[in-house]
Amino acid sequence: MDETARERSPPFKKSNGGDRSHQSPRIDRYNIVFVLMDSQGNVKERQLKEEKNRMALEVISRNSHPHAHRTFRRRAPAPYLFLMPFGLLFILFFIAPIVYAIYQSLFRSQRSGLGLGAPIVSFNGLANFADVLHDSNFSSGVGRVLLYGIVQVPVMLGLALILALFLDSAAARFKPFFRLAFFAPYAVPGIIAALLWGYLYDPALSPFVKGVQALGLPRPDFLGAGSVLWSIANIATWTYTGYNMLIIFAALQAIPTELYESARIDGGSGWYIAWHIKIPLVVPALVLTCIFSIIGTLQLFGEPQVLLPISNNISSSYTPVLYAYNTAFNYNNYNYAAALSVVLALVICVLSFGFLRVTQRQAGV
Amino acid sequence: MQFFSSFSWMRRLALRFAIVGTLFVLMTSLAACSSGTNTSNVSNGPVNLTFWSWINGADKAVALWNQTHPNIHVKYSNVGSGPVEYDKLFTGIKANNEPDIAQVEFQVMPTFETTGALVDLSPYGAGAFKNQFVPWTWNQDTLGSAIYGIPGDTGPLALYYRADLFAKYHIPVPTTWAQYADDAAKLHAANPNTFMTDFPPKQPGWFTGLEWQTGARLFRIDGQSWKVSINSPQAQQVASYWQDLISRKLIKTEPDFANAWFHDLQSGAVATWITAPWGAGIIELNAPKTSGDWKVAPIPQWQAGQNVDGNWGGSSNVVFKSTQHPKEAAEFAEWLNTNQASMEYQIKGNALYPAYEPLLNSSLLSSPLPFFGNQNIFDLFKQASTQVDDSFQWGPTMEQVYSDTGDNFANAVNGQGTLGDGLNAVQQSTIAYMKKQGFSVSQ
Repeated sequence: MDETARERSPPFKKSNGGDRSHQSPRIDRYNIVFVLMDSQGNVKERQLKEEKNRMALEVISRNSHPHAHRTFRRRAPAPYLFLMPFGLLFILFFIAPIVYAIYQSLFRSQRSGLGLGAPIVSFNGLANFADVLHDSNFSSGVGRVLLYGIVQVPVMLGLALILALFLDSAAARFKPFFRLAFFAPYAVPGIIAALLWGYLYDPALSPFVKGVQALGLPRPDFLGAGSVLWSIANIATWTYTGYNMLIIFAALQAIPTELYESARIDGGSGWYIAWHIKIPLVVPALVLTCIFSIIGTLQLFGEPQVLLPISNNISSSYTPVLYAYNTAFNYNNYNYAAALSVVLALVICVLSFGFLRVTQRQAGV
Repeated sequence: MQFFSSFSWMRRLALRFAIVGTLFVLMTSLAACSSGTNTSNVSNGPVNLTFWSWINGADKAVALWNQTHPNIHVKYSNVGSGPVEYDKLFTGIKANNEPDIAQVEFQVMPTFETTGALVDLSPYGAGAFKNQFVPWTWNQDTLGSAIYGIPGDTGPLALYYRADLFAKYHIPVPTTWAQYADDAAKLHAANPNTFMTDFPPKQPGWFTGLEWQTGARLFRIDGQSWKVSINSPQAQQVASYWQDLISRKLIKTEPDFANAWFHDLQSGAVATWITAPWGAGIIELNAPKTSGDWKVAPIPQWQAGQNVDGNWGGSSNVVFKSTQHPKEAAEFAEWLNTNQASMEYQIKGNALYPAYEPLLNSSLLSSPLPFFGNQNIFDLFKQASTQVDDSFQWGPTMEQVYSDTGDNFANAVNGQGTLGDGLNAVQQSTIAYMKKQGFSVSQ
């Protein structure tokens, strides 16, 4: 145990108050928690009482007639009335568009000859989906964003975790400032952020390019074929690190400080606490931010769209969403764009729920 | 994790939502049906028309029209230029709420013709103007006996060059493409920071203008099918010419109309720009300090002594089927592009170069320009305009062709294949795309 930890954590005896009966030399984490609760006024007894009540309730509900549940529901329509505004908007603006997109994806515009005159819209079954699966533009776009995600998401979440741990351990005086400073980029609208970074990447305007050139080094090309994906990753990292940091930070704040105290008593250093207590306990928050990030990665659109006019190296099918957008509005092929969107949604679903499964199985979260 | 643990409960809740919500939606829509009344189309008073265009000065022309035509009131909107407007038009066509009249560029005329949303203007007296427009523009807007648009402006190509740089390095102004390539080498040797021009890989409209000059025809109508020849020998000739300049690093390959590109115009990093009359305004506006340095010469030729040109840009005004007043809309479209005062507003506002021949003699287009060292550049364009081949035909999927060309050319300037490979790839992708849509296609 280092000097500072010893100062901060009160000696075991003191926190235990007058109750000497629990001064057991064997100290493990749970034991301490139990003892501390005990010292704060007969928590143990209260817990026992609650336990009894709960068991009693369970007995009642097990014995009750199955129809009792239904009568309860009939008697209280209020919750549903209150939930209706949400339910209605949810159906109108979320479920209905999805259903409509799926419906649209089953059709195609059919022309003949020179194609003059309005096209005939005909039922196409699942042929659009078969085309999507064989579409190299789509698969290379998905491949590109996956490569991007594999690099960008760990970097961003790693940074967010480090910043959150830093904020959690920093002196309270500076906390509000840093919290705001880390979060500030998220408050900048995504398109504005991309424009801002666009200027910083632009070969003619960028102070980075000029600075590097002034040092006599070769001119960096932020918009080149090999670099533009990572320039986009940099924008996303800059924008979303603070946001993810805040989620992880909130999880850190929820960890009971007793755990830290016990660890310090055990002789755990700051690193030990971070690695063995803080990080394992914020894993659910990390999983959550990771899922958000996977979804965000596959939906990458704004940044490449903004950088498109200043880089030769962003094609019209650079990301799956960009491809769906161009298919709908440049190629004027709404049905195929709908199929692209539906397949992309399925890919996102599989990846995020797949990730959840894997992490749940491994970490038991 | 807590919020994922209770799926069955959520599913039950979702189902209840769905049922309650669906009932409510049905109820409201039924209510709406019963209370709705059919709006009558009978109009008293002036006819109202809506008009979309992105030309600066079109607003003033519309104001003049409204002043002089009290019975037909036109409402003008600028909803964005080029593809931005087309996106909205395509959506509007699907929803049957497109404007009465809109500006569209020549290359997308067949695309709009294949939506079936354009009104044939021949029953409304459009045919009377046939011989008064620059011949190739009229061909772009007609299909058989149908007239689908009234030409507005054109973009014959010419060579804008930095006369000061050419004089400084003792380089002759090129009249042939061979000479242009020689000059490019000389210029770059004289100053490694100066390039002959920029090849914007994602500007297929510009490249198509050069192909047009060379005699390449991307599309032809052959009976009831489209003949696609995007990688014709003439097109390949243009591609290999520019590929050579790119490979020798004598020209830049930046995106055009981007900050870096404007910066090059200002700094003299590029010595020429092959562009249309509207390019004059862009240079003047974005590189005002280069006043007096630029001049305009005819576009270089493949053979000395030839006089052939291509075109980049230009647009027409079309009338859409959902209009209630096709006759009045046609009348407005005709007036907008042939009335002297109307066109002069647009010439002043957007450096528009008219397709209506009598207006080429407008005093606005026959005076020397101080920015170009008092050269009267429009005399040259008046010549160039007559040298544009009038049989050029656009295809029905130009947005796709341009998009694919841009992607392939961008790869080529990055060293992945050549521009010629790009044309071959676009030929294949275009045929595949058109067949998929059901067009009858032949190679």
